[in-house]
Amino acid sequence: MTTVLGRELLAILRSPRAAAGLVAVALACVAVVLVRWPADGVADLSGTTSRGVLALFAWGLLACVLLLAPAFAAPSIVRERLRGTLMLLFNSPIHPWAIYAGKFLAILAFVAIVLAASLPAAAGCLALGGVDPWRQVAMLYAVLFLVAAQCVAIGLLVSSRTGGTDAAIRVTFAAVFALVFVTLGPRFLTQGQPGPAALVADWLRRLSPLPPVLEITGTTAGGAPGLAERGSALPPFFAAGGLLLAGLVAATLARFDHRIFDRARDAGKITDDQSLAVRSARRLFYLVDPQRRSAGIPSWLNPVLVKEFRTRKFGRLHWLLRLAAGCAVVSLLLTLAATSGTVAWGVETIGGLLVLLQVALVVVITPSLASGLVAAEREWGGWNLLRMTTLSGVRIALGKLGSVLWTVLLVLAATLPGYLMMITIKPTMASQVTLALVSVLLAVAMSIAVSAAVGSFFSSTTAATVTVSLVLLVIYLVPMGIWAFRDDPFGHAFVETALKATPLAAALAAIRMPGFTGYDLTPGAWWVAGTVTLAGLAVFALRIRRLLQPE
Amino acid sequence: MPAPSPAQATATRSDRPVVEIRDLTKRFGGFTALDGLSLSLDRGQILGFIGPNGAGKTTTIKILVGIMRPTSGSARIAGADCVTEARRIKRLVGYMPDTFGGYDAMRVREYLDFFGAAFGIPARARRQRVDEVLETTGATPLKDRFVESLSHGMRQRIGVARTLLHDPEVLILDEPANGLDPQARIEMRELLLRLAGMGKTLIVTSHILPELARICDVVAMITQGKLRAFGGLDRIMREIRQSRTVEVQLCDAGHVEAAAGVIRDGLPEGERGAVGVHPAEAMVRFDTAGDDGDLARLLGALVAARLPIAQFREVPKDLEDAFLSVTAASGGAA
Repeated sequence: MTTVLGRELLAILRSPRAAAGLVAVALACVAVVLVRWPADGVADLSGTTSRGVLALFAWGLLACVLLLAPAFAAPSIVRERLRGTLMLLFNSPIHPWAIYAGKFLAILAFVAIVLAASLPAAAGCLALGGVDPWRQVAMLYAVLFLVAAQCVAIGLLVSSRTGGTDAAIRVTFAAVFALVFVTLGPRFLTQGQPGPAALVADWLRRLSPLPPVLEITGTTAGGAPGLAERGSALPPFFAAGGLLLAGLVAATLARFDHRIFDRARDAGKITDDQSLAVRSARRLFYLVDPQRRSAGIPSWLNPVLVKEFRTRKFGRLHWLLRLAAGCAVVSLLLTLAATSGTVAWGVETIGGLLVLLQVALVVVITPSLASGLVAAEREWGGWNLLRMTTLSGVRIALGKLGSVLWTVLLVLAATLPGYLMMITIKPTMASQVTLALVSVLLAVAMSIAVSAAVGSFFSSTTAATVTVSLVLLVIYLVPMGIWAFRDDPFGHAFVETALKATPLAAALAAIRMPGFTGYDLTPGAWWVAGTVTLAGLAVFALRIRRLLQPE
Repeated sequence: MPAPSPAQATATRSDRPVVEIRDLTKRFGGFTALDGLSLSLDRGQILGFIGPNGAGKTTTIKILVGIMRPTSGSARIAGADCVTEARRIKRLVGYMPDTFGGYDAMRVREYLDFFGAAFGIPARARRQRVDEVLETTGATPLKDRFVESLSHGMRQRIGVARTLLHDPEVLILDEPANGLDPQARIEMRELLLRLAGMGKTLIVTSHILPELARICDVVAMITQGKLRAFGGLDRIMREIRQSRTVEVQLCDAGHVEAAAGVIRDGLPEGERGAVGVHPAEAMVRFDTAGDDGDLARLLGALVAARLPIAQFREVPKDLEDAFLSVTAASGGAA
C-alpha cells in the first residue's frame, strides 16, 4: 500500500494543478484574515468580525475541498486503466484493496496538506477572538475532512466504472453536486409532513455538508428555508456521512479486480439488419431508435455540428429527448408544488427555484460540453485531421459552439412549462418571467463563451473540464457567497456590485425571489454578461484561428 | 520565349514530379529538425521514408501537408506550394497520421461520412464514395462497428479509407504498418500496392524496413534532419554493397584457423583485419570490397589448400543493413 501511496502522492504533489491549488488556498486564507484584521487598534469584543471571517473561511475551504478532491480522484483509476499501468499493478503482488487504499489515502493526504495550508489563517481567526477553538474550528476541519473522504470515495467509484477520464470527471462532479445540493431538495418538499417520505428526505438531508457548516459558522443564509434543524446537525451528518463513505468504499472494492478490464467490444448491431419482428418491436418501444443506421449528414448542415452531437454519448437524439423530458417533469413538479398549496412559498420562490434549476443545469452541463470542444480533439489526434479538411475556422467554431448551444437550449426549453403555469396562475408575472428568461439566456451565452474560450487553451480534456468548472463556479458562486453575507460584513452597495457580475442574480432579482428584491441588477448585469460573452467568443475565435494556422 | 501550347503545358505538367522538396529547413529555436532536405517523387511511385526516431520524418510530413511552416526552402505537391496554397494542398493530399484520431460513439460509416462532408462532398456522392473506399480497403464488414471498438489493424484500414475519401493524388501515411500482426501487415502491403496501381503517389514512413523494401520504388533515408541516401532501392543497395560480407562454412571446426589464414593472404591488406574466426560455428566471416572475380579466386585458394569447405556464401544485405550503414556513417540515431 505504501508503494502506491508514495507514488500517487508524489504524482499529485508534482502536478502544476496541485501547486496552483495549494498556493491559491494559502493566499486566499491569508487575504481573508488580513482584510478583516483590526487596523485602527480597536478590538471587536462582540466577536462579529471573527465570526464573519470564520464564515468566509469555512465556505471557501468547503468550496476548495468540493473542487479539488473530485478533480484528483475522478481520473485516478480510469487513467491508469487506459494507460495500461493498472494492469501492471494488478499483476504485481500488491493486493487490490492496497492499491485502492494507496490511491484513496494519497488524495486524502493532499487534501489534508491543503487544509493544513489554511491553519495559519485559522489561528489568525482564533486570535481575533469570539470563535470557539473546538466547537467551531476543530469541528469545521472534521466536517471538511469527512466531505473530502466522501468526494474521494465518489471519484474513485466513478473512476472504476467509467470508460474515459472526461466522463469520469463529469459524472463525479455531478454526483458531488447531487450530494451537496440535491440531497436537500426532498426536504424542501416534505418539511413539516409526517410519514416515511419525510423520514427518507430527512436522512437524505443529513448527507449534505451544508447544514453542519451553517451551524458551525452560525450563519443563516437567506433564501434557504429548511436548512436549519431543531437539534445539532453535526452528529447526524457524521453518522450518515460515515455510512455513506463505507458504502462507497465497499461498492468500489466489490468490483476492483480483473473484472475492471472486462469490457466487451460493441458488435455494431443495427436494427435495419434485424428481423421484421425485431424491427417492429423496436419501432414500437423507441421514439428514436439508437440502433438505426443514421442517414448521411445533409449538405445544408454544418458537419462539425452533427459530429459533435454524434460523438457525445448523451448527444444522440434519444438521450436528448430523455434529458428534456426529465427537465420538463422537474419543472412541472415544482410548479405543482406551488399550486397545490402544501408549500407556502409563493409563486416568486418557485420561480426562483426554477431559475436556480436552470442555471444549475447550465453550470453543470456547459463545462462538460464546451470545455473539451478543442481540448478533446487535440488530445485524441482529431484536430490535425480537422485541419487537413477544407473546413474553415468559422465553420468549425460555429459547429462546435452550436452543438453546445442547441443542447443547453433544449434542456432549458424543457423547463418552460413551469414558467407558463406560473404566468397562468399569476398573469402579472409575465414581465418578470420575461426579464428572468433574458437573464438566463445571457447566463447560457456567457457560460458557453467562457467555457469554450478557457477550454481552448488546453490539450487535455481533464484539465480543461476541471479548470472551466472552477472558473464557472467562481463566476456564479462568489457573487452569491458575497450575497449570503449581505449586511454583515458586506454592505448593500458592495453586494449589488458583486451580484451584477452574474446573470443568475439578475434572473433571481427579476423574478423577485425573496432576498433579491432590494437589488437593482438590470440592465447592469446584462451588460456585464454581454461583454464577457463577446470577449469569450472573441478569444475562442482567435484560438481556433491560431490552432488552424501552420505551426 | 513563346508561351507553351495547352498540349505542351499539360505534357510539361504531367512530366513534372508530383512531390518536389527543395532545401527544406526547419529550426525550432537552436535545434535544427530539418537541414536542407531535397527530393522529388514521380506520379504512381511509393516513397519509403526511413529514419530513426526524431530524424525529421514527421516534420517533413507536416510541412508537406501544410500544417507546419518551413524556416526556409520550399515544398510543392502537384505544383501547389505547401505553404502558400494550403487549401489546395488539402484537396491534393490524403494524410494518415500515426495517431488514429477516432471519435467515440460514432460508427465507421458515420465517421467516414463526417470527413466526406468536411471535404464538401455532396451527400449523395458521399454515400457512394464511402462505400467505395470501404470496398477498396476491405473494410466493408466494419461499416456499422463503433470506431472505438475497432482493433488496431481495423483502425489502420479505416484510417487509409479516410485519406482516400476526397480522392487525393498523394497519400502520406505515417507508420501504417506499425503494431499490425503479420496477416494484417500483408493485407496492408497489398492495399498500398493496389493504391499505387490506381495511380496514387504514396509517401510511407515505417520502422518495419523489410515491409518497405517489398513495396517501395524509392527510398529516402534521413538522420538528424539530413538526407543521407535517396533513390531507387536497387541503387541504394548497390551503394551499400561496396562492402559485402562473406561466410565460409567448414565441415570441421579444427580447420577454421587455417581457412582464416588462406583468406587473409587472399585479401588486400586493408581488409585483413576484418576476418572473423568463429570456431563454435566452424565458420570464418569477412568483409570485402572485392568483386565476384576476387571471390572466385579466394574460393579457389581455399579449395587448393584442401580445406573441407561446406559452404561459401555471401550474406544477403537488405534495407535494414542499408539503414544501419547509413545511420552508423552519420553518427548513430538522433
